[in-house]
Amino acid sequence: MATMASTAQLIICEHCDCVYQQVVLGKHQKSLCVRCAGVLERYNGLTVEQRLALTITAAMLWLFANFYPIMTISLQGLKNSATLWDSVLALSQGPITFIAMVAAIAIIIAPAFQLMLLIWVLAFALSQRRAPAFKLCMRWLETLRPWSMLEVCLLGAMVAVFKLAGMLAVLPGIGLFALAALSLLLIRIAGRDIRELWALP
Amino acid sequence: MKSPATEAPAEPGPPPIKTRRFSVSLVWLVPLVAVLVGLSLVIHSKLQEGPTITLNFKTGSGLVANKTEVKYRSVVIGHVSAVALSDDQRSVNATVQLDKQAEGFTREDSQFWVVRPRIGAGGVSGIDTLLSGDYIGADIGQAEGRAKRFKGLENPPPITYGEPGKRFTLHTQDLGSLDIGSPVYYRKIPVGQVVAYALDADGKGVNIEVFIHAPNDAYVTDNTRFWNASGIDVNVGANGVAIKTESLSTLLVGGIAFRAPEYSPNDSAAAEARTYELFDDQQTALAPPSGKAQYLTLRFDQAMRGLKVGAPVEFLGIEIGRVVSVNLDFDEVQRSFPINVGIVVYAQRLGQAHKKMLKALKHDPDDMTATAQVFSSFVANGLRAQARNGNLLTGQLYIALDFFPKAPKVAFDLNARPIAIPTLPGSLEILQEQLQAMLEKINKLPVERIAGNLDGNLVELRKGLMQFNSRTLPGVQSTLADVSKTLQSASATLAEDSPQREKLSETLDELGRMSRSLRDLSDYLGRNPEALIRGRPSNAPPIDLQGPPRN
Repeated sequence: MATMASTAQLIICEHCDCVYQQVVLGKHQKSLCVRCAGVLERYNGLTVEQRLALTITAAMLWLFANFYPIMTISLQGLKNSATLWDSVLALSQGPITFIAMVAAIAIIIAPAFQLMLLIWVLAFALSQRRAPAFKLCMRWLETLRPWSMLEVCLLGAMVAVFKLAGMLAVLPGIGLFALAALSLLLIRIAGRDIRELWALP
Repeated sequence: MKSPATEAPAEPGPPPIKTRRFSVSLVWLVPLVAVLVGLSLVIHSKLQEGPTITLNFKTGSGLVANKTEVKYRSVVIGHVSAVALSDDQRSVNATVQLDKQAEGFTREDSQFWVVRPRIGAGGVSGIDTLLSGDYIGADIGQAEGRAKRFKGLENPPPITYGEPGKRFTLHTQDLGSLDIGSPVYYRKIPVGQVVAYALDADGKGVNIEVFIHAPNDAYVTDNTRFWNASGIDVNVGANGVAIKTESLSTLLVGGIAFRAPEYSPNDSAAAEARTYELFDDQQTALAPPSGKAQYLTLRFDQAMRGLKVGAPVEFLGIEIGRVVSVNLDFDEVQRSFPINVGIVVYAQRLGQAHKKMLKALKHDPDDMTATAQVFSSFVANGLRAQARNGNLLTGQLYIALDFFPKAPKVAFDLNARPIAIPTLPGSLEILQEQLQAMLEKINKLPVERIAGNLDGNLVELRKGLMQFNSRTLPGVQSTLADVSKTLQSASATLAEDSPQREKLSETLDELGRMSRSLRDLSDYLGRNPEALIRGRPSNAPPIDLQGPPRN
């Protein structure tokens, strides 16, 4: 029992596999690895409850980003507006249909799954319990993280807005603002620090 | 839990802490705000959403779901949310999501049409759609009833947005070169246009609907006449050639002009939707009304070359009608082919004479029997129809109704319908007959014999002349020479200083003296007749001193 308890208090550097004893961090603090100077752990100010609330907010933003137009362009009365899904459809009709699938996964499906899994896991964590299929969910959250590329999409959209602004009348839509908020929020809530949940009994 | 100590005094234990089962952190405000924002957006768009209507078009050309807009006065009032084939695959249904403010466009008589670039009679329209793509134009209706399904128009309605003005219906035989958008002129100023046309229910005419814009619609009065102003009106008359046209555009797209006759007393602005007749040209339009048409039939026994349908019918030189039919007939008794000519006359064109006649005869124009009797009396007075030559160059004939008191009497059939007017051969025909008779007489002359005799005489004459030339002429010449010689000698004889002339004057002097002495003698003898016997006394005084003779 003693060994088990002591291992739970240990932390391993993800860069050089050096083992340390976990310490409690205060505000604005982070623990560093002695050997490789990599960050071991940061102060995490979010309780489970706060994380769940933000996750639900993110889910709302995801809905906005997907159902409201990202931007509207107009030229001499010719008007066009597109949502995220429209852009995926436009790609699928082009010569590189495969890219459409990648785009759909990266900007729509992966974030959606991330949010669903987080809500599932955190809802149970609120009552200090492990959710059913907890291990699978936690592993998938790790797997999906690199596939969620909302920031990339946001950057692309903003580059398009600025580039087109000179030639056409470009109107950023609700979707673009929602997308910006969602991508920031997702970094905060679906980060590496959800590994704390493994501590649940 | 530690086991409590028995010997030591009881230390104060910690009080039991009760945690609120559901403690709500402030962080939940964040998703709450997000949800509220989302809800407000959804509610807002729901509130903005107006009625959904379905438009039925023949084709879906230019209609794109979620892109094609519906505009009224160039303001977007909705958009096409779906384009689909109708159930019977004969047309296209476009579902239109109207805005909240555009609720009025669900009125039953609202109109919808696709705006595309168009070149029509009225000019070019819809150029802006070349860039922006087609859109659906809408015009709000007035009806109280509401509808969900509308039939889309194929062409934009010419009059939209409740423009002030009046609509009138014109009735005509055929459309001519008119089209929707053809202009309507009043004193050569465009004041309206053709907005619709349709065949009569029985297909025997065309009803043209025109729209006159306010305020010029006030010039359409009860007396107004409309006429077709399409094309060029070329008038060749005694004053030369006159070419008239309303405007250059009427040459291409046709047009209608209207005006009231100059003398139109008690004229008032016409009510909306009044029906007028559309005349073929200004002249017929502004002519006094023709009144009731009276059909008559004429039977000619001569060829009617040059008589065309539409040729004028004149009564004492006044045009009162026209020819409506020229048909060949077969006479069973005479085995001949007479020609039946149907004419229509308008008694009202006689003007004052017609009114007076009606009054004098107490005649009701609608009573056919009475009309036949009137004609019967006219025929008895010598009314006859005659085909006359209107133009010697072209040989065009017209029908003349005239009184010929010397015309042979004919029986008048009172029961024949249409009324038959007896005819006379035309003036040219009479002339022709006389000419023919003369020619026949000339034909009968023994022209050949006369010619033979004449020929012989001429031969003789030539012979005589030859003889004259060869024999007589030389003789004549010598004679003339002799005459000339004689004249020369005569002139020499009579010259001033010739001895003959000298002698002659001496002789004349002698003769004078002689005559004087003779007178003396006669005087002396007169006074002294005895001297004839006794001779002259020696003491006798000279003659001059003697007194006048005594008786």
